[in-house]
Amino acid sequence: MSLDFLAVHAGPDAIARSPMEGLARAAGARFEVRDGWNVAVAFPSTAVASVAVASVAVASVPQAPGTPAPPVGWADTSHERTLELQAPADELDAVEHLRLGEAVRAGDAWWCRLTRTRALILGGVMPVAGALDVTSTYASLTLLGPMARETIARFCALDLRPRMAPVGALRPGSVARQPGIVIREAEDRYRLLFGWATGEYVWSVVADAAEHLGGRPVGIDQL
Amino acid sequence: MTQPGERLDRGRVITFTFDGKPVEAYAGDTIGSALFAAGRRTFSRSFKYHRPRGLMCVSGSCPNCICSVNGASGARACTEPAREGIDVRHVNALPSLEHDAMRATDLVGGPFTPPGFYYKTFIRPRRMWPLYEKVLRHAAGLGKLPATQPEREWRTEYRRRHADVLVVGGGLAGLHAALAAAGAGADTVLVDEGPAPGGQQLVTGGSRELVGAVRAAGVEILERGSALGYFDGLVPVWQSDTLHQVRAAQHVFATGTIEQPLVFAGNDLPGVMLASGARRLAALYAVSPGRRAVLATTSDRGLQAAVALRDAGTEIVAVADLRPETSALGRSLRAAGVPVFAGRTIVEASGGSVVGRATIAALGGGAELSFHCDLVLVSGGALPATSLALQAGAQTVYDRASGQFELSELPAGVHAAGELARARCDEAIAASGELAGLRAVAALGRDDRGRDDGRHDDGGRNDGRHEAARDVVRARIDELEARSPEAPGELALAPAVSGAGRGKCFACLCEDVTAKDVSQSIDEGYDSIELSKRYTTVTMGPCQGRMCQLPAVRLMAAETGLSLGSVGTTTARPPWVSVPMGILGGRPTQPARRSAIHDRHRELGAVVRWAGDWRRPYHYGDPQAEALAVHEAAGLIDVSTLGKLIVRGPDAGDFLDRMYPNRFSNLRPGRIRYGVISSDAGRIVDDGTICRLDDETFYVTTTSGGAGAVEEWFSWWLAGWGHRVRLTDVTQGMAAVNLAGPRARVIMSEVCDLDCSAPAFAYLDGRQGRVAGVPCLILRIGFVGEVGYEIHVPAAHGVHVWDALMAAGERHGLRPFGLEPQRILRLQKLHILVGQDTDSESTPFAAAMPWIVKLDKEQDFIGKWALRHYAQRTPATSLVGFTTADGDVPTEGAVIVDETGTPAGQVTSSRHSPVLRRTIGMAWVPTALAQDGVAITISDEGRRLQAEIQTRPFFDPDGEVLRS
Ligand code: FES
Repeated sequence: MSLDFLAVHAGPDAIARSPMEGLARAAGARFEVRDGWNVAVAFPSTAVASVAVASVAVASVPQAPGTPAPPVGWADTSHERTLELQAPADELDAVEHLRLGEAVRAGDAWWCRLTRTRALILGGVMPVAGALDVTSTYASLTLLGPMARETIARFCALDLRPRMAPVGALRPGSVARQPGIVIREAEDRYRLLFGWATGEYVWSVVADAAEHLGGRPVGIDQL
Repeated sequence: MTQPGERLDRGRVITFTFDGKPVEAYAGDTIGSALFAAGRRTFSRSFKYHRPRGLMCVSGSCPNCICSVNGASGARACTEPAREGIDVRHVNALPSLEHDAMRATDLVGGPFTPPGFYYKTFIRPRRMWPLYEKVLRHAAGLGKLPATQPEREWRTEYRRRHADVLVVGGGLAGLHAALAAAGAGADTVLVDEGPAPGGQQLVTGGSRELVGAVRAAGVEILERGSALGYFDGLVPVWQSDTLHQVRAAQHVFATGTIEQPLVFAGNDLPGVMLASGARRLAALYAVSPGRRAVLATTSDRGLQAAVALRDAGTEIVAVADLRPETSALGRSLRAAGVPVFAGRTIVEASGGSVVGRATIAALGGGAELSFHCDLVLVSGGALPATSLALQAGAQTVYDRASGQFELSELPAGVHAAGELARARCDEAIAASGELAGLRAVAALGRDDRGRDDGRHDDGGRNDGRHEAARDVVRARIDELEARSPEAPGELALAPAVSGAGRGKCFACLCEDVTAKDVSQSIDEGYDSIELSKRYTTVTMGPCQGRMCQLPAVRLMAAETGLSLGSVGTTTARPPWVSVPMGILGGRPTQPARRSAIHDRHRELGAVVRWAGDWRRPYHYGDPQAEALAVHEAAGLIDVSTLGKLIVRGPDAGDFLDRMYPNRFSNLRPGRIRYGVISSDAGRIVDDGTICRLDDETFYVTTTSGGAGAVEEWFSWWLAGWGHRVRLTDVTQGMAAVNLAGPRARVIMSEVCDLDCSAPAFAYLDGRQGRVAGVPCLILRIGFVGEVGYEIHVPAAHGVHVWDALMAAGERHGLRPFGLEPQRILRLQKLHILVGQDTDSESTPFAAAMPWIVKLDKEQDFIGKWALRHYAQRTPATSLVGFTTADGDVPTEGAVIVDETGTPAGQVTSSRHSPVLRRTIGMAWVPTALAQDGVAITISDEGRRLQAEIQTRPFFDPDGEVLRS
């Protein structure tokens, strides 16, 4: 018996959904089914996503071209595949892209070695021998913009100063008082990983912090 | 007249209200400066005696100007910026600041309000205490909370800030420290609680350039921010609506000194001000603090303020300089026509609602001189602001020369600068700041912006440059350290009290503690500073000891005959400034886990409740009907909250054999077995099912609340045993639903690609198949007692599978059911809920599960020794089922009593069963009673219920339904 049942088999007859879909919809997201996932591809430029105003209907229109980017935007990236690799330390040492404390970009995936014996591979479609598909164990938000780090500082005590967390830094720790992982993907771009079941809660925390700083949700086409 | 340090924008007039009346201010004014300019002299009423109080320190360090702003109490008028439209109100006075009815406590209450009066005066008759308490609470206080929650709320933020160096104090020393640290490459934060960085330089406007340079060096300045305390390197800084949690590698404390008041008769009258406070009022806000002033000082500090005020237009009527000989500055004042009396101090300030006369005299008595005035300036020495450094682990010693408690030892990572480091003149203060900043950088091991030793390897390309920069820092440190220490200025030690017997002499303005109160507390045996603090509450008010620490120590020393050094100071504790609770509370967010199907439950109208960390549907409107539907047709429950672990590897079976009292290594792939996890002491800690997927892979479920603990437990033992086993927690990754009931098989057949007939898919089989097109793991288990399929599916497909099942089940009478009906159903089967029916004492034997313990297992397992022990003994109590005679449902937790009424057991679960039409339950009873048909009595909140024990499941006792 294989562990096939762990993997998300998204397809036209079995749409996969993020735990944050409801809040994204309430914030006016425009959804498209892509590779079997119902993903929020765009938000109106006026989108607000706080719980208090989430029920207010917002026209479901894509961001107008030329609308200035918010100081911080957050996008639901939970649909990206997540694999877990567990092996004795010496075996992981031999894997090219795995370095402790770092996320290494290889192809279209981030290779993240969390401990000496455990790694996650985020994104990508290539099979990885011995890896478990744990895509729906981790929900994910990507924050981007000049205020992204400042937004994260409102709910996370990790030291993400550029000198301490250069691009590619991998930081497991408490995110909004929940176990999580922060990856600095680019200069002003951070990926947060957290438990799938805490998705709605973490979205609401991120929205609360980001909106206060002038931010708004963005779709994956706006990343 | 425009002042050199003036902060006003005279081109912008703003209006706010005070007690409903409009007040005009300039942009840059504080509420206090605007009100003072408008003629107000009484700003608050005191805590206990309701005496009028006016501006005293003008730095947020005393309690005298506490007010409420837009409904939020605790603001200091003298530091709170005036803003357009704000609603400012007085606190602690009724009906008005000018006419406060509670002033009677001052006039007649003296004998009734000694220290600890609420333990002495208001204790008889005892039944009156609730009334006394109400009156006292009403009379004492620093403001009222708004009546409703929405009025009490305002947005507050947490912000985490890491830094290399945190400098606390934005005076000359702090600015130089920050400049040096940032200049040497350290990521530096500076926090300053003044109206702007600059400290004492602010009054001359002389710090603007320096502040500019600090900013240009990249220092983040948290203006108007107060460092609340030091918590193992974390310094919370309150700034407006934000609490910055600053965690720095090195700390520089440049918190300066706090000018101290003098203790004399009438020292709390409006118009009695710290000399520095009056100077700030004039210099920063161009407000004249008074027309005619008398100064009482112990050092040049007071004289400097007098000179400045004189230049600003205040007539200095007289100066009482306690030093036997006044200084050069005093002599120059004298030469300018100001009467300067050496060897004298103030003994009384008197007047009506504001000061009108000051009397000075020599300490030993003799001729008194009295002066009409509307302002009394006092300068009773300086208290080094050591609180934060002490909280960080520093020590102080009393220094006779300076008359101060000076820092002696500093812990690693903490540096003192400026007056805290005994520097006095500007040049020395600046140098000491620079030295502290550089020492902090040197301690960091960093010498260049953007570099830190060892953490970012540049292949040695810049080693030479960094080494050279390090040398520059070291050389400058050596140079600064070589400076000869400054001699302390001439000063006189302030008396503990002067003018005693002429009226109330306040040692503590916050709590209205007089010199007499401190003396009385000593007489009553509270003769150490710590005891006196607790008894009199001196230093425990909003000023946090800034104004009363030193006066209290002086009084204690004078009364006990001890030296100041022997009396010592009270323990420095956070918060260093009074802070609203809301600031500490942060954002009102509560972590919650929700199943992937949660939105559907909402749409179905589920009543959602907390279940551990989860929000779960408790029921969908009618729990009894939902339970019945499971028996009559089918029900669907979301069980995604179950803990789920993948345990895989060549040693997985052996590992589980060690973790559970029963066996798993002999479980066939595709089969399921129930397991109970016991502690080392043989007590039940969790339970669940284990499905063997293949030779090396098991799918382990746990209770909803126990998932995290079981994962940790497994990991902990794995780390020690070294099994070739890998654990993956997929609790959140897998949604799970349980389809149960007589129609469950039919419904499954419609959505599942497996043969769901009983022979092909038997009870306790685990199969992989597709449900609604999605690969799932399907477990044939029956927690609720009917034919059941527990379907585990990636959380991302949870909604899809739920919808498909609900759609297929519609014509078969399928309905969703929640946690409450599930509890009824499992109780019918006497299935335990760990934590509900068991506690930390429960063993599998006592819980009627002896069959699960395989003591004949060859290898050791957790709890084996203890379980072998229990196996040889009859447990004192046993877990059984019961039914009540008259249908009453006892409260969970109700007591089983014996014939004498003595407690002998406890009800753990109880419900009405709609299918059985009677009340059922589980209870711990003495083992001797644990037999079918035995009658027991339940004592439940005054009721006596008769019940009968049943040891076999109430529903389908032989499991025929389950296995069908
Ligand atoms: S006068 Fe405002 S706190 Fe002292």
